[in-house]
Amino acid sequence: MKEEIIEGRRRLEEELRKLVGNIFVPEAKVFGMACGCVGLAADLRGLQSDAVEVFTEKINAILEEISESVGVKPEIIYARKLPGSEEVVVLTTRDLCERCRNEFAGSKAPPRPDIMMLKKKRWR
Amino acid sequence: MRLVVPHPGHFAALKEIIEVKEAEGLNEVVEVYMAGSPEVMGSGRATLHSARIADIKEQTAYAHQHDIKMNIVVNPSCLGGYHLTFEGYKLFKRYFEELNKADVDGVTVAEPYFIELLRDFSMETVVSCIAHVDSPQRAEFFEDLGADTIAVDTNINRNFAILEAITKAVNCDIKVLVNEGCLYKCPFRHAHFNLFSHITSSRSSLMKAQSPNIFSDYYFDKCISMRVRDPSQIIRSPWIRPEDMQEYEAIGINNFKISGRANAVNWIINCMVAYARRSFKGNLLELIDCPSELRYTFHLDNELLEGCIKQWKTCKKICDECRYCDELTTKVLRVNEK
Repeated sequence: MKEEIIEGRRRLEEELRKLVGNIFVPEAKVFGMACGCVGLAADLRGLQSDAVEVFTEKINAILEEISESVGVKPEIIYARKLPGSEEVVVLTTRDLCERCRNEFAGSKAPPRPDIMMLKKKRWR
Repeated sequence: MRLVVPHPGHFAALKEIIEVKEAEGLNEVVEVYMAGSPEVMGSGRATLHSARIADIKEQTAYAHQHDIKMNIVVNPSCLGGYHLTFEGYKLFKRYFEELNKADVDGVTVAEPYFIELLRDFSMETVVSCIAHVDSPQRAEFFEDLGADTIAVDTNINRNFAILEAITKAVNCDIKVLVNEGCLYKCPFRHAHFNLFSHITSSRSSLMKAQSPNIFSDYYFDKCISMRVRDPSQIIRSPWIRPEDMQEYEAIGINNFKISGRANAVNWIINCMVAYARRSFKGNLLELIDCPSELRYTFHLDNELLEGCIKQWKTCKKICDECRYCDELTTKVLRVNEK
């Protein structure tokens, strides 16, 4: 796990730089929440929402690969923006618990205005 | 009953909220509210969307097509004095003019000076609960300033003598927040609202210099820890069960506001349905606007709370002598096991 997450962070930064330009990924981590969700989160500096929109498929592919390398099979992938701005500060992949499947990923609209839903598995 | 529902701010969310309201026939839902533009001023609570006037105008028109009113919340508890500068006066006055032109139905504010400024407009002036109206005397002051509606301090949600006295003292409408999950008599309340007010105004040209680079939200972290250590604080919080709203209607309060505009759309919809139907089964914390960690940690069985309102209605709020909520906690609240 240690090698995979270190390599995942490095790879994400490298791939984003190839796609967009000067991007910094200061931290990548695997998380487990009290509700039951597990996931991978990568903090970002320099990435903006328009770039994420343009490269959604490529970003998803990279994140899915890194995520699976640390044992997380993502049901959703999303970007979180700084509230009210276009600055993307975190990319997250998440294997959802039952509650969050409904509450966080169950609406047609993005769950919150600061969330850009990049990929959502079809449950039904 | 008139139910006011939070709106996170993005148009897609508004459409989904209204779609469910109409599909479920929730005629009690008459209004949505969303945060104003952080570029102009901050807000007492987390603001995840930056609504521009054109966006507000478009969403207001859509809400009106569906017979829903639109209220814009601009309720910072602290403006750092900028509202009392000529520059601030011009900016805020112009912003209210723009909201008025956008056909917004009401504006919610906490600052008394804004209530006077809003007298020039036909929009409903709503006093935010952040103004802490907790007595008939304070309600009269705000009514004299120009308030059309007062959302009372949530700390008096279970003080029926005071609530009834307020309804008798003023002619304006009284509104209660039904699901705010804050600590009763929270020692951090003013400081936390002030903190949010400054953080959310960091994009305001006037207040930029005051945007702090904080190391953590001390009040938020502390508030959760206090409740984990003493879960009776969860019971003492002044939330109102959907089944208990009729007690408020009996004393003349017909306006109910659901808090939680920074929550996920589906969480909001779930609350809207429960309060409109006056019924909920399960963990009441699912409806309470509180840190999600508490929902994951505790289960508060709503059905076991049936009838508790009778005690709270007449409670003297001297917890040290009463201990009702402490004893109730052991019966209705349990730690989730996984």
